[in-house]
Amino acid sequence: MSITLAPKRRGSGLGLAMPAILLLLAFFVVPVALLLLRSVTEPEPGLHNYRTLIGSATYAKVFFNTFFVAGVVTLVTVLVAFPVAWALAIMPQRWASVIFAVILLSMWTNLLARTYAWMVLLQQTGLINRSLMALGIIDQPLQLTNNLIGVTIGMVYIMLPFMILPLLGVIRKIDPAILQAAALCGASKGQALFRVLLPLAAPGIASGGLMVFVMSLGYFVTPALLGGTANMMLAEMIAQQVQSLVNWGMGGAAAFILLIVTLGLYAVQLRFFEPKPEVR
Amino acid sequence: MLLDFHKLGAWKWLLSGICALMTLFLLMPILFIIALSFGDSRWLIFPPPGWTLKWYEELFADPRWIGAALTSAKIATIVMVLSVALGLLVSLALVRGKFRGRAVLRAFFLTPMVLPVIIVAVALYAAFLRLGLNGTLVGFVIAHLIVALPFSVITISGALETFDPAIEDAAILCGASPWEARFRVTLPAISHGLFSAAIFSFLISWDEVVLAIFMASPGLQTLPVKVWTTLRQDLTPVIAAASTLLVVLTVLLMIVAALIRKGKSR
Repeated sequence: MSITLAPKRRGSGLGLAMPAILLLLAFFVVPVALLLLRSVTEPEPGLHNYRTLIGSATYAKVFFNTFFVAGVVTLVTVLVAFPVAWALAIMPQRWASVIFAVILLSMWTNLLARTYAWMVLLQQTGLINRSLMALGIIDQPLQLTNNLIGVTIGMVYIMLPFMILPLLGVIRKIDPAILQAAALCGASKGQALFRVLLPLAAPGIASGGLMVFVMSLGYFVTPALLGGTANMMLAEMIAQQVQSLVNWGMGGAAAFILLIVTLGLYAVQLRFFEPKPEVR
Repeated sequence: MLLDFHKLGAWKWLLSGICALMTLFLLMPILFIIALSFGDSRWLIFPPPGWTLKWYEELFADPRWIGAALTSAKIATIVMVLSVALGLLVSLALVRGKFRGRAVLRAFFLTPMVLPVIIVAVALYAAFLRLGLNGTLVGFVIAHLIVALPFSVITISGALETFDPAIEDAAILCGASPWEARFRVTLPAISHGLFSAAIFSFLISWDEVVLAIFMASPGLQTLPVKVWTTLRQDLTPVIAAASTLLVVLTVLLMIVAALIRKGKSR
């Protein structure tokens, strides 16, 4: 029942949002638009910045690194996050809340602190190499930093929570009766997993995976610190073009490509996987 | 069957094992830096030959670390206040407003969260070079406000959606002015959302690296910028000490946030 006597509010409410709208226009929309504009106006008008980006082997390697690392990170994250989310959804509450707290702690710990930890753990004389050598698995320390291996490990660490949390939400909503039905109809555990549970969780896997992939594409800090200059990724290249080379045209063009890919994948996400708004 | 933990049989142990390994993987680096910050090896040998507090002494004796931490705290506090205030206004407009295109406006307010932060950083850097805002407190605050605002809008409008506006109307019918009703009825009812938004906004600004790297000048830098520039030179255990203090702060804020959530559900 709605109150028909509700007092009239003045105006539509749009005015309340005005300060924030102006802030975003002045310091978000206009600056980003100007940056993209510079990609076709500097150093002279035309599309030559994009031609250089697409044509040269150096930049091809940057694009390859970016998409390759984002792909591997997404794959590994999905493979680890699915069993974890599955277990979290059904294990005794006491244990689940402990693991949940650890996930939140790692997610909220300062990004640089986490990356620093991996830089120290993975270095030539680091704990990981020394343990592997002490166990006799390797004789020579492995090169684990300043390459894409280090970047991948560091990024998987950062992205795992972003994959586990949405997947957990999806698996919790699956009705256990459906799996009981599968068992009653004679499905083995393997069949129930691959033909019932996985398909039911697939939207969550796809949507979480897409999110992790998009976030990985534009990531700056971890690749810059664990990858070294020889293994540059896209975000790092944009920063380098602008800060060190003062080449705003190229920086703008690379930013534009990243922007298009990000918004494109985000649109796919909204179009196909957006769950009903669940705010409560 | 597959969704009943006790009927999983052998799979139960497999799943538990994967869970345990992952928990260890997530926890190890954090415990590792904490241990490292008390170890007395400058070359980060682990386990350390002895224990010491000298990295903390070095940290607190260096005015640049203290200055950076104070700058961070100042910026994060201003960002927190502005982000909650603007977020509240935007949420009132989005949840209670009666104009067309509210869904579009909501998407607009969430875009800074979706775009890679490097794009925002480079674009703002260019704009601030022209406006002379680089290396200023105002520049930092604006940059962090842009990325904190979406979280504030999500949290506060979430809280506002669960609050029935009829209660506010009732207050007005009982003689309260519209603004009185908003301040004395609606605000207290959504206070848990406001507190969560405040904590989120503070943490986002406090931890933010990428924008800060572009906004910083030699004279004005935040704690993450100081960690970043130090990291690029060497991996000194002083960073482990600074990181440990950051972890402690995070845990404290998480406990506060959890208490707020508990208070709400009670």
